[in-house]
Amino acid sequence: MTAIEPVRHSPHVMVHFCSPDRRYEPLQPIRIQYQIELSAGSTVQAIERSILWYTEGKGEEDLGVHAFERITDGATIAAAAGAGAFESHLPPSPLSYEGLIVKVRWCVRVRLFFEGGRDFVSEHVFDLGTVPAALSRAVP
Amino acid sequence: MSATTGPRHITNPFATRHTRPGVLWPLTSSAERRDVPALIAAVDKAGGSAGIEGPHGTGKSTLLVTIAAELAAVDRLAAIIQVRCRRDGLSAVRAVLRAAAGTTVCIDGWEQLGRVVGSATRFLARLRGCQLVVTSHRSVGLPLTVKTTSSLPLFTAIVAALPHHGGLIHPADLAEAFTRHGGNLRESLCDLYDRFEQRARQPFRF
Amino acid sequence: MRLPRFLAKKRGDRRTGAEVWGSVGDALFHAILLAAGMVFAGLLLTGVAVPEWRINHHFLAAQGTVVGKGLARRAASGQAASTWQPCLRLRYTTPEGPREAWTLRGAIVPDRQAAITALDATRLGKPLDCWYDPTDPETVVLERGYNWWMWTLTLFLPGALVAFGGAGVARSLTAWGKSEERQAAAGGRPHGGLAAVGSYPGVPPCDDLVNSPGTILAFRLPIDSGESWALLGVGLFALLWNAVLILLAVNAGLDLLGGQIDWLLMAILVPFLAVGIAGIVIFVRGLILSTAVGTTQVEVSDHPLLPGGRYEVLLGQGGSGTFTSLDMAVELEEQATFRQGTDTRTERMVVWRASLGTWTGLQLAPGTRFEGRGVFQVPATAMHSFASEHNLVSWRVVVRGRPAGWPPFTRSFPLLVYPAPPSGTQHPKAEVPS
Repeated sequence: MTAIEPVRHSPHVMVHFCSPDRRYEPLQPIRIQYQIELSAGSTVQAIERSILWYTEGKGEEDLGVHAFERITDGATIAAAAGAGAFESHLPPSPLSYEGLIVKVRWCVRVRLFFEGGRDFVSEHVFDLGTVPAALSRAVP
Repeated sequence: MSATTGPRHITNPFATRHTRPGVLWPLTSSAERRDVPALIAAVDKAGGSAGIEGPHGTGKSTLLVTIAAELAAVDRLAAIIQVRCRRDGLSAVRAVLRAAAGTTVCIDGWEQLGRVVGSATRFLARLRGCQLVVTSHRSVGLPLTVKTTSSLPLFTAIVAALPHHGGLIHPADLAEAFTRHGGNLRESLCDLYDRFEQRARQPFRF
Repeated sequence: MRLPRFLAKKRGDRRTGAEVWGSVGDALFHAILLAAGMVFAGLLLTGVAVPEWRINHHFLAAQGTVVGKGLARRAASGQAASTWQPCLRLRYTTPEGPREAWTLRGAIVPDRQAAITALDATRLGKPLDCWYDPTDPETVVLERGYNWWMWTLTLFLPGALVAFGGAGVARSLTAWGKSEERQAAAGGRPHGGLAAVGSYPGVPPCDDLVNSPGTILAFRLPIDSGESWALLGVGLFALLWNAVLILLAVNAGLDLLGGQIDWLLMAILVPFLAVGIAGIVIFVRGLILSTAVGTTQVEVSDHPLLPGGRYEVLLGQGGSGTFTSLDMAVELEEQATFRQGTDTRTERMVVWRASLGTWTGLQLAPGTRFEGRGVFQVPATAMHSFASEHNLVSWRVVVRGRPAGWPPFTRSFPLLVYPAPPSGTQHPKAEVPS
């Protein structure tokens, strides 16, 4: 049987965290290595790498950016568009929290900007702190 | 967008990031994928302005955002405005004033503008030569009206399009949530959010 | 395909599709407002402010004599009616010699006779202080000083245009075609969140929670319940509504005494009266309730709290009569707000609760207060207080009371829990002023 190779239309970003279980303590350094596989014919014009927290649940999403870097230099893009790394020291808060209707999550985002204004975002969640998940609803 | 989470993270498929307008493709009440390009063509044929009418939680905003995206892809979108109160009327008027001729301003929550601002917005849009596509709970008198209604098959199809719930939600849950909330899709999804969260969560103490 | 996001009010307008042209249009719109404001302000300054300043600083004083009286007529184009302003002809002496000139005196009035009456107050030959322009001695005025309220009023509109337009231009230029992470990073604050407090991002500020010392324990917590504000609101509404009602009633009464009956006014008065009476009843009932039940105070031995910390909590309850029960507990609550179109839904859920004490069969005498104590240990791995624009994780002390013969009440007092300090760091609590 002929092997079928899937044709990717979207880029693929693989992220490796320095902590094997993706769990970090406040103020701990975090180092991320990533690899980008682009679909044929696509040209990256800019790359944004960020470490941020966002909320998820029943409310509108809020987000707070801890570290942000935008690469527009052609030579640097060429190198970063294949593989790259960045690091930061994590803040003391907000801690990751798996609530019932409000969750606080930390993630690494790699956003690629292509010609024509199109962009692609790859998001990879990690944990800051060791706050356990919330209990079920508590009734007075 | 692609996303990866860890085993400790409960991805609730009914969280707002998966259900908010713009994430899901709009469906008809018979659970068929809406032909948005054909809808835009019909709007153009009718004069370029349309009102999306329907009760609360029937997918008006979702349809509006998708129409806006299709227009944006061909550089025909001037702006998309969410009106929450009458003060946002200034944003709507401003958007129309800035719109180039032949472009479309999408406004979610038309009734919030009030009669005066709404009439002024329509007048200015005619003057500027731009079109309006708006959502409303009742007729707004624009050349074309698109009605949205909800149904259990539609709700079932929406849930099927969300990230998988891992078998924690059953068909009976869908019927019960839909009936309890009178066909309001948004409230029904919130109901399923709670059910999923309770079932997925292991009891844990600090 | 990148789907457009709604233009939320706080984030400003943002075009989709052609981002560059959107930003250009946005900047152009605000630039037009800014230019209009500056032109308007310029016209006002040159037409009002600068002449007024010259009068007060450059004009020379002289002693004038009234030698003639007249009326300046202003006829607006296309209108039949004219307006009139009294004028006086003054004789005064300048270094170049004696001069005579007309000057305006008094306000512009629509009635010619009223203007003539105003002129009659000034007799011919009357000496008057005046000031003339040394560069144009034919220009003379009878009053000096600054019309501050006119300045404020006339500069308000151009000032608003300049502020709005200028801010919009600045915002357009800084947010030109940027992603949400980039905007949030550039703003130095969470996108949809609050600014960091000290070195703890996402933790709400605590200034209002630690500025009130307790009488027994270190800190007294402010009350979070809306009871007082609701009562104040009802009281103000009842006051204003009944004031309007009295005016209408007086009007109707005067008409009646004059033998006229305004049926429309009478028809309006009936529902107005019903609402006015209801407002008074609700306010009085609320006032009696809050007075009879009494105030509730909560004090804590330390604040803000830290995970793993152990704290004493004091409940003080005033009022009179019997309380069937009084319960004090600590709760952790999540709050999420979602807005879409005309719908805004805010959901709250208590996800953790610990009782600090329950007291039953209390008998309170007027002028005394009941005091109950409890001890609370914050779990070592508890989630800290968190606040962003649409989502909250908040701690609070909740007091639930059941006074005999009165409806039960619930009063809550916010607590702030910080994250546990990372090892080797000092907690910002140490910086809280005593």
